[in-house]
Amino acid sequence: MSNNPLYFEDVEFGDDIGPIIREVSDESVIEFVSIRGPETEPSRFTSKEVAQSQGLPEAIVPGAMNIALMSQLLTGWSETVSLLKLDVVFRKTVPHNTPLKFSGIITDKDESGSNNLECDITMENEEGVKLVIGNAVISLPSQP
Amino acid sequence: MLLDLHTHSTASDDSRASIEQYVKWINILRKKGNHIDGFVVTDHRQFNHDVNYDSISSENGITILKGAELDTDTGHFLVYGINEKISSIINFADVTMSAQKLVDVCDTYGAIAFPAHPGRAGIGFAHYLDNGVKGFETVKTAERLNGSNRPGEGEKAEELIQSKGFNGTGGSDAHIVSAIGTCMTEFEANISNEVELVAALRSGSFKAVRMNKI
Repeated sequence: MSNNPLYFEDVEFGDDIGPIIREVSDESVIEFVSIRGPETEPSRFTSKEVAQSQGLPEAIVPGAMNIALMSQLLTGWSETVSLLKLDVVFRKTVPHNTPLKFSGIITDKDESGSNNLECDITMENEEGVKLVIGNAVISLPSQP
Repeated sequence: MLLDLHTHSTASDDSRASIEQYVKWINILRKKGNHIDGFVVTDHRQFNHDVNYDSISSENGITILKGAELDTDTGHFLVYGINEKISSIINFADVTMSAQKLVDVCDTYGAIAFPAHPGRAGIGFAHYLDNGVKGFETVKTAERLNGSNRPGEGEKAEELIQSKGFNGTGGSDAHIVSAIGTCMTEFEANISNEVELVAALRSGSFKAVRMNKI
């Protein structure tokens, strides 16, 4: 997370959020799926063989984990960000162990006093293909 | 005149952008020096005759027209100039509809239908031609530039357009606000309604263009 506090007045239409590049390792997926309890059998999220038996090219990152990663783009932008709403569309499966680019852009600014900002967010692979897209509403405090 | 011919609103299940948000964003693009005159809403598998964008269009000086992107047995097709007669014949929700019938109906009743993102694997027109599909003699246009193209899809579309001598349009295929206008179609004519859009598309006096990122 950025240590620089951002305030509502600092942000303009078209401001970029990120980008940040992350890779999701096999281990981090296992750790994520283990949150709901130890995995008793391999799944398409943790096993290439199971994934391929289900018609996928390789093990994929779980949707909930992708949502969590997208949210971290926003909450990591500044310690002052509050994430109010996140709505994503999964366009392609997300593979493990490959660089993923997370980015956002401010598309609306509510000047009526709510301090809410709307933004588009995307996750792309190295070829620039959008794997996950969406939008979010975040809030920033006013300058003290 | 620069129009984005391929955009999706929240009426499409995979889009997160409203018409109002697009309009607001276009105003920002204009303030930053970009040129965009309007866009055509081409939601998936539907057309709403009752929706009217005249008010928001005139308030903002942005041309907003209506079309559709339909799933067919020969890939996705963009349709412009839809009227009551066409929607009484074509079931827009039928994902296996005959593309040839769609093209023929549009030709007959004052609309136009042509392939969207023709280079896209599985849902692009070129894929079907490669697999031996014939016909479509009246199709003279295809989407040349699509803002959501994946690597290789633009090249495949260009190959099709060159080999067939098609005219090529441009559209962003926007599903989020900030994607609108990334690809557009530059028309020689001024266009203020769907009838004029169809005439301009049939005239061939246009070209596909890209917008520089703000």
